[in-house]
Amino acid sequence: MKIELKELRHVYPTGEEALKGISTVIEGTEPVAIIGQNGAGKTTLVKHFNGILRPSSGDVLLNGESIKTRSTAQWSKLVGYVFQNPDDQLFLDSVKREMEFGPRQVGMPEDKIAQRLKVISELCGLQDKLDMHPFDLTSTEKKFCTVASVVMMDPEVVIFDEPTCGQDVRGNERLSKIVQSLKDAGKLCITISHDMKFVVNNFERAIVLYKGKILLDGKMKDVFAQPDELSKTFVSPPPITRVAIGAELGETAFTIPEFMKAFDAKRGAAKHE
Amino acid sequence: MAKTSNYVPQDSPLDRMDPRAKIYAIFCLGIAAIIFPYYQFSYLIVIGLFIAAGIAKLLKKFTKFMLAFAIPILIMLIFIQGFYSPKNVTIIADCGFAKLGLEGVEYALKIVGSLLVFLGSFYLMTTTTYTGRLVAALVDSGMNMKVGYLVLACLNVVPQMQRRMLIIQEAQAARGVDTQGTFFSRLKAYIPLLGPVVMSSFTDAQERGMTLETRGFGVKNVKPTTFVEAKKRTSDRVVQILLVVFLVATIAATVFLKFA
Repeated sequence: MKIELKELRHVYPTGEEALKGISTVIEGTEPVAIIGQNGAGKTTLVKHFNGILRPSSGDVLLNGESIKTRSTAQWSKLVGYVFQNPDDQLFLDSVKREMEFGPRQVGMPEDKIAQRLKVISELCGLQDKLDMHPFDLTSTEKKFCTVASVVMMDPEVVIFDEPTCGQDVRGNERLSKIVQSLKDAGKLCITISHDMKFVVNNFERAIVLYKGKILLDGKMKDVFAQPDELSKTFVSPPPITRVAIGAELGETAFTIPEFMKAFDAKRGAAKHE
Repeated sequence: MAKTSNYVPQDSPLDRMDPRAKIYAIFCLGIAAIIFPYYQFSYLIVIGLFIAAGIAKLLKKFTKFMLAFAIPILIMLIFIQGFYSPKNVTIIADCGFAKLGLEGVEYALKIVGSLLVFLGSFYLMTTTTYTGRLVAALVDSGMNMKVGYLVLACLNVVPQMQRRMLIIQEAQAARGVDTQGTFFSRLKAYIPLLGPVVMSSFTDAQERGMTLETRGFGVKNVKPTTFVEAKKRTSDRVVQILLVVFLVATIAATVFLKFA
């Protein structure tokens, strides 16, 4: 799957220019995180990936085909989008029917639906709640219900808008698992998140937006090695990374083992001098 | 910010005018237009409204609104009343299939004139009055605060539901529901949207009510102050008195014309 952005601009009817020319290519299966301060244009950007929003100028190409050629519903087979607010998305009277709805819309055969239902409900921790009404779920379960209902459709690309919002540690662990399983299944996962710990531990590439433009774009380690640039868009690296930068270890550490390794290396180098 | 009415914030005398004076205007001008026997009178008031719209810097929008309403309904009514009113005696034109009568045409003009006065003044009021201020003014005049909130909530809920509808529509499209296409497919896509829209606006309303309570909306034995000030100025009082005088004068003139 390949998403190509060509000088993408978006101007809202109010006259606000949310995206000011974005060009990049997202390809393969390595999960991509989109970060940046509120109002930087993150949601506006990802809403172009399945045609919910249409470019004011420039273009988005999905596998070489312009986004403008099909409707959002037609793209939904290829690009799944999990909205930020579950209440906007859920409308059926049981979790099971919620999960079956999307795949039926895109014409998935019944036996495949049944088989996916089993796997994905377990992945999302909903296997015992299939008969419940979505409105009776807790807010975190509701979120997973929307995730499940989109992943069920088996799209090539899955977009998550703020999946970590309101999640506890276990919720985040489950999300990590989902992101990983999507990658293993050869799917491309694009996620907007403000939770930097979640971002650095689960994604390989980061696109940092700042006032409608790409500020930084690249490997997670390279992006987080530039705290000054990041602070422009009010992103601060996770604590352990900041300690590593403060101690001038010269290496971007995202986990404690990484930090210790870099620390030992530095100390070893110092001893030799 | 959310658009809750067709209010256009603008610095103009009409914008600054107290909402109550504008409500007086709707009723005094409208009733005067209805009761006065000559239809020309209501058109004079309409011209007055156009001048008011000019002062409020809304002339273009106002003209568009008035023409869009007036022309079709005028044509329709002149056709029906002019050709087929039983009151028709004086024939002013013969179109072959029917004869155009003066009385019917005058009657049509009168109805349209009165409607235009009501609609025009109402339109001017809503475009120059911030809803919050209108409610504050009504509460200041003795309306119960809870009723005031109810009015405001009702006015707010429609645009809010429209916004939600749009988001939900997007969410449905992202799950493969085609919201475009033929009438039937659009209708089919519409039905599943209604559930979440209605449900979520219920929960929203409940939550907003609880929030208001936590902020002391229902506190008793305390005189609350309002965030939006609604004070009548001398000029507002003068306008109100003038409007009432105008109405009374019209009534007097009508009575005089009928019996003298």
